Amino acid sequence: MAVTVTQQLPFVVLDERDRIVGVGPDAESQFGPLIGSVMWDCFPGSEPLFKPYYDSARRTGEQLEFVQFYDGNIARIRAVPRGDGRLDLHWEQLARLDTLTLGGLVRTLEESLEHLDGERAGAHRAELRKTLRVIEGGA
Amino acid sequence: MSSPAAELRTAAPEAYIVLDGDDRITHVSPHLHHELGSWLGHVLWDHLPGAREVYGPSFDEARSSGHPVVSVVFYSGRVKRLTVIPAADGLAVHVERLAELDVTSLGTLTRSLLQIEAALAGRASGRHDPRAPGSLRALP
Repeated sequence: MAVTVTQQLPFVVLDERDRIVGVGPDAESQFGPLIGSVMWDCFPGSEPLFKPYYDSARRTGEQLEFVQFYDGNIARIRAVPRGDGRLDLHWEQLARLDTLTLGGLVRTLEESLEHLDGERAGAHRAELRKTLRVIEGGA
Repeated sequence: MSSPAAELRTAAPEAYIVLDGDDRITHVSPHLHHELGSWLGHVLWDHLPGAREVYGPSFDEARSSGHPVVSVVFYSGRVKRLTVIPAADGLAVHVERLAELDVTSLGTLTRSLLQIEAALAGRASGRHDPRAPGSLRALP
């Protein structure tokens, strides 16, 4: 199912060194205090998940949209290059894992996996589904 | 029957709490004071949403049987070994963390779920074994 991020104002703006230099109203509470910081320093483990897409958008000059899993959230991200190395990021949260109970985890993980597509996520998806079945069976 | 605090001081000296019959926290071991000290006098479930259905059955079993109960449960992203020891002055509870969900990426999630699967596969229920190894941690 193709869904386009329709948000008009950028969620976050990064400069050419991936420092947070702008924050939209929807991101103020989370990212406002982080202005001036390098994104990857603030969110451990996120660089290999997001940076290749951002670099690609800068390199090609074309906006790029992708779905990514990070920190228990599934989000659709649109990266729009401004031409001066800066990048507008538009962010739409699609799902979030509920890790409180095993039942909640199984339910929300299955929902989250539905949002992930592509070959790269496929191997993880198959492994996760297999593990979930075992856990469900033993729960 | 000896006091639960005394039993746990031998078996699990670091971290335990004691509950009254309404699951109100009546004692927090010194090791947990900085983490759970403010919960003293509160009903446990008020601080742990959704935990009653996870921990409650072990509490009920220990109270009704009068015997210590050990179970392996999943709550708040972690698999834990729960040890519950009943006594006249309350129910002593301690928790050992066995595995933890890592939701950083799909890769870490997949690996940690396999560890959780293994921890849950080893789940056992029965009498408390004070010789069981492992570092003891606080709820939740």
